[in-house]
Amino acid sequence: MESWRQQPLVFWIFILPGGLWLLLFFMAPLALVWLFSFGERAGVIGIEITGTLANYWEALEPLYLGLFWKSLWIAAIATLATLIVSFPVALAVSFASRQMKPILLLLVILPFWTNLLIRTYAMIAVLRTNGYINYGLEGVWNGVSAATATVGLGALPAFQPLTLLYNNTAVIIGIVYIYLPFMVLPLYATLERLDRSFLEASLDLGAGQWRTFFNVVVPLAKAGIISGIILVFIPALGTFLISDLLGGPDSQLIGNVIERQFKAANNWPLGAAMSFLLMYVTFAVLALRSMFMNRDV
Amino acid sequence: MSDRPGPLDYSRKLWLRLWLLAVFVFLYAPIVILVLFSFNDSKRNIVWRGFTLDYYVKAWHNAPLIEAFVNTLVIALIATAISTVIGALVALALWRFRFPVKPLFEGAMALPIVIPEICMGVALMAFFARIGWPTQMPWPLSLASITVGHVAFCFPFVAIVVRARMVGFDRSLEEASKDLGASEWQTFRYITLPYMQPGLIAGGLLAMTLSLDDFVITFFTSGPETLTFPVKVYSMVRFGATPEVNAASTLLIVITIVLTVIAMLLQRPDKELQA
Amino acid sequence: MTASPWHMRPCPTSRRRFLQGSAAVAGSLPWLTRPARAAGQVNVYNWDTYIGENTLAQFTEATGIEVRYDLYASNDELFGKLREGNPGYDVIFPSSNFVERMVAADMLLPLDHAKIPNIANLDPAFTDPAFDRGRKHSLPYFWGTMGIGYRISAAGDTPPKGWVDMLGGDRFAGRMAFLNDSDVIRITLKYLHYSLNDKDPKHIDEAAEALIKAKPGIKAFAPDTGQDLLISGEIDICQEWNGDILQVMLEDDDLNYIVPEEGSLLWEDTMAIPKGGPNLENAHIFINFILDAKIHGEIATEVKYPLPNKAALEYIPEEDRDNPAMYPPEEVRARCEPNIFDAERDTLMEKALTRVLAA
Repeated sequence: MESWRQQPLVFWIFILPGGLWLLLFFMAPLALVWLFSFGERAGVIGIEITGTLANYWEALEPLYLGLFWKSLWIAAIATLATLIVSFPVALAVSFASRQMKPILLLLVILPFWTNLLIRTYAMIAVLRTNGYINYGLEGVWNGVSAATATVGLGALPAFQPLTLLYNNTAVIIGIVYIYLPFMVLPLYATLERLDRSFLEASLDLGAGQWRTFFNVVVPLAKAGIISGIILVFIPALGTFLISDLLGGPDSQLIGNVIERQFKAANNWPLGAAMSFLLMYVTFAVLALRSMFMNRDV
Repeated sequence: MSDRPGPLDYSRKLWLRLWLLAVFVFLYAPIVILVLFSFNDSKRNIVWRGFTLDYYVKAWHNAPLIEAFVNTLVIALIATAISTVIGALVALALWRFRFPVKPLFEGAMALPIVIPEICMGVALMAFFARIGWPTQMPWPLSLASITVGHVAFCFPFVAIVVRARMVGFDRSLEEASKDLGASEWQTFRYITLPYMQPGLIAGGLLAMTLSLDDFVITFFTSGPETLTFPVKVYSMVRFGATPEVNAASTLLIVITIVLTVIAMLLQRPDKELQA
Repeated sequence: MTASPWHMRPCPTSRRRFLQGSAAVAGSLPWLTRPARAAGQVNVYNWDTYIGENTLAQFTEATGIEVRYDLYASNDELFGKLREGNPGYDVIFPSSNFVERMVAADMLLPLDHAKIPNIANLDPAFTDPAFDRGRKHSLPYFWGTMGIGYRISAAGDTPPKGWVDMLGGDRFAGRMAFLNDSDVIRITLKYLHYSLNDKDPKHIDEAAEALIKAKPGIKAFAPDTGQDLLISGEIDICQEWNGDILQVMLEDDDLNYIVPEEGSLLWEDTMAIPKGGPNLENAHIFINFILDAKIHGEIATEVKYPLPNKAALEYIPEEDRDNPAMYPPEEVRARCEPNIFDAERDTLMEKALTRVLAA
């Protein structure tokens, strides 16, 4: 890594468009909401910036902290599941032949160009009690039951449909489904044109396929894994739609509460404080990571 | 990259193929259901009541829906193009340079990813209202406020993906190129850019996905003159998904496939200089 | 009733010219070939499935004014969107408690009654409501109740009578859904025989506890999709709005709707003009057009919500008029209350809801 002073022109060309865009159309609007988080509601729509910390104290009440904690867990499990599902997919895409690669890539991304809500509703039709998974299972079950009856073993008890919706598992499945490309694509980007001589060397030296996979491929894909985790975990932390539509009576996440503060509860200051708590934590973690990474190099 | 089969040819491993198949079933089962139900002769998507094409006719004659389609595609294409370029540039800056406030900058770049969508939507709405962003502009300028917002939350995703890609890049190649007399631009064009390409593609696809799907931020930055498909769908399916919505999204799937295939065909003769 | 209300709305001129220039197939596209008109435009912001299929076309036909029709999914969204300034809407459809909220926030323009002669068609019961004395800022569009939708065959010989069947006992355990907004707290207050506008924190706590107690038997707190869960057989009973259940009843004979005997929430959606809209004159013309007896009756026939328009009643089918689920008898209505706006109470209820959902 070089200092920006060595190539100031190149540095500014690289950093200015994104930096300015971030400053003008993200940081500036965000600053408004940041001010709101130190404000008090005055009347129906007024927000008086009084510098109060009351919103943050309220956001740190055990009720909300519990939801924070729960959201962290759900997002963590879902991110791990997404990683496990995605890694072989990314591997298959990046090791595919040149003709197949764009087709596979397209097949992975195409479902996600269908509207998210419509996809989620379609998923409900697949998973619900009278949904297609249960229809399929019921068919198999009845077939087996008929078979056992004819050979004299008696019929099986009546089919009990699986409950696949309206619980926390459904929320996790939903997150995996919705955020899959956010894991597959960064993984693909690092695995693509990975230096194969490392793998060959490992195999030549007698390491098995699995050892090569875990000791060589995974470390080489580390950057992709980390960015995939960031891109899935962080948005999953704030999700509200998935828990709204697929979750059960106790699937409320912090994202739902934040959404309600900005809408139904009409309490922008509290919603802003909660959003910023999420942001402070992520900001700190990523800034720390950047400090350590830059020290290493 | 070789096509010969061998221990490294993951794509020919059975378990990997089965895994891929399972994932595709997982991804496509809902899509198949959705397409099937667009032919359902019922006002709701719950129970099958027979085949009809009515909802396609309806969707086709639904002028605002078509308009929302066009708007959504235009916004997505512009936002993707801008995000990919500035996201990649930022990624290069972060990858290549040390500068004083770098950790801060990196933390800030991650904020659009972490911010709850509704918070960003409200922030942009309040911001545009306060700076007096004009709301009565002719099309397509009227889409500018939405597009600006989309770029703001899309390009950090691109930056993260491209940066992850650059981690594996051997900088001695750049030095070699410059030692051989290539300019900064030539080195970038012929050495760095080809290496970045998978990252650019992945980042661009992500940005496109994000933009096509977003309704929360779009909702808060749109007005009566700027209908978009996700917002429309959102307000429609909240009262139960109707086959008309399914028909419309089936049309959208077909349109995106056609556009993508055309784009791929146009690309083909050009390059693929990797080998 | 899934109306598709946008049938005919053409694009604004600049846009149309662009599309015509670029589309060779324009002749076959119905939305590109409408003649231009000069009488201006009105920007209407409404809920989905909440207007007749041809209403907007009829309006344009009658007045020459083009309608730009945009949709929202909840009062909260409408309010949130207009809160920082009106992005250009002329007519909106807020519910009564949001009329209060928006008037308190100075977001609505007073209506010029002289320009809306069809006010004379209204049922006198709707001309002077508590939330908008003298109808200064809003005129009624539809009204209705919140109640219980259930599967007849699952209820057996004793159909449910009230909230007690859902909240007091495990008769429908595992087969129930409630709405996931603070109205669930309000109806629980009704179940406990308090007013749904009760603002005593103790009573609200009591309601939250009652819900938490019933939670093991609740399948989902649904975002206004109870009717979908009901018709797909996922649940047997749910808390829902009357119109949502009446619409699915058209598709499934085994479903029914009741207004609970403990009383329930009485709602009214209105038409209002937000400040800062570009077409004030046309907004009045539009509202007057909707209140026309025939037009309002036709819309009601399609969307199946009760009319506040006395003159329009003769234009709806008799079976609707006589349907007690749609037009509940006076003694049932007497047990229901409207939701009255009170910022402090709303905050308490939201917090109680969060607590219930987190428990």
